[in-house]
Amino acid sequence: MNTLDIEFPQLLLTYLLCLLPGTLLWLIGLRLSRDIAISILRMSLQLVLVGVYLKTLFDVNNPALTGLWILLMLLIADFSILKRAGLKPRYFGLATLIAVASSILFSTLYLVVLVIQPPHYYDARYIIPIAGMILGNSMQGNVIALERFYSALRKNENEYTTYLLLGATRWEAVKPYFQDAVKAALNPSIANMATMGLVSLPGMMTGQILGGSEPWTAVKYQLAIMICIFTSTSMACVINLKLSLNIAFNAFDVLQDKVIAQAKS
Amino acid sequence: MIQFDHVCVTARDKLILSDINFTLNQGDKAVLCGKSGSGKSTLLKTLLGLYEVHSGSISCLGKPLTAASLHVIRSCAAYIGQEPMLGADEVRAALLLPFKFKAHRGRLPSEPEINQVLQRLQLPTSILKQACRHISGGEKQRIALARGLLLGKQLFLLDEVTSALDEECKQAVIQVFTDPQLTVLSISHDALWLEHSDLVYELKAGQLSQIKANEYTRY
Repeated sequence: MNTLDIEFPQLLLTYLLCLLPGTLLWLIGLRLSRDIAISILRMSLQLVLVGVYLKTLFDVNNPALTGLWILLMLLIADFSILKRAGLKPRYFGLATLIAVASSILFSTLYLVVLVIQPPHYYDARYIIPIAGMILGNSMQGNVIALERFYSALRKNENEYTTYLLLGATRWEAVKPYFQDAVKAALNPSIANMATMGLVSLPGMMTGQILGGSEPWTAVKYQLAIMICIFTSTSMACVINLKLSLNIAFNAFDVLQDKVIAQAKS
Repeated sequence: MIQFDHVCVTARDKLILSDINFTLNQGDKAVLCGKSGSGKSTLLKTLLGLYEVHSGSISCLGKPLTAASLHVIRSCAAYIGQEPMLGADEVRAALLLPFKFKAHRGRLPSEPEINQVLQRLQLPTSILKQACRHISGGEKQRIALARGLLLGKQLFLLDEVTSALDEECKQAVIQVFTDPQLTVLSISHDALWLEHSDLVYELKAGQLSQIKANEYTRY
């Protein structure tokens, strides 16, 4: 089965659909038309560029070019995670990159090389979408983990210091906050897995079915990718937080203000 | 036991402690007085490595205070603030909290030891079952003191530790620290507490000077 292409005039019809929410929001007094227009424009431009780039990437199918694209995705993710977590990339950039890159590469290669086994394991058509999906989900988890951990430490500075002064090592003193942060980061993934297929049909599966795959093949891909997302997010969060401990504290186990980009309430 | 040698401490580019010199021998009971914001709490916390020393040096038990020797001071000192954080839901759990850490594991105090310490601080044994959020400020201070005593700490750094105590409890706490083995560096403006101290220091705009107890003026 071939996928029915969406012709350009038909695609314009979907843009017309935006008039409906636009009017509704205007009627209830929300003046968001400018923000919505900018977002839709950005999305369109970015996706067109990605489309052009991915087509070239898939046609060329050069491992070095694929690697470069993944590195670019990782760098963007790195800065985005730290910006949203309120931490300074100058201090945490390398640690986050190592944590995210190692977990993404491990999960992607595991899935592609051992599970999917395409004729060429460096096939961009597999590597890039899979790495992208895992990275997108892992990014969210890392933002939650870092943000939760450092805002909890700042909020409970007195408690953390008490643990230290009662003889706790740095690890013993941060452990409760560390566990809470990892739990919060993994909760969405766990909840997502528990309700998958009941509450919503996952995007990747839907995409594959629309793309002409058998539902059973789509289900198997979805299962594999979900487990990889969970593995990768857990690995990245734990490694990221662990590495960050060596940067965020001074030799006397005191959290350094200079590493925090903004005050969190 | 403790020596401050020309110690200066800055925080956020502001000089908090300036050229601090003093020595505390084992068994000394010293009090720091001074206006609010004069750097008293900073001085106690600097000793525990919570503030970085800008210049000068601190030594504890003959060893200079560095990241490597930090555990020496933290393992022999107990810091009790005005509103101590107990770190557990129930009083018994709070009292035994430090024994979960590697440094104190396997040294869990016996029931009679716990009861004896509580008695010395005029605390009923029934308090062990209470929730920490339901006990008073004065009880929290004494539970924190009890924790220090159960850990066998030799040096007590006390920040206004009698502020929430009535006369009877204050006397009990003072009595505990008459032990010649215990060294005390405290922040207090309490006349009774000052009476029982050997050394009184005054901090003025980050500078320390020794005064006589009767020179003390209430802040």
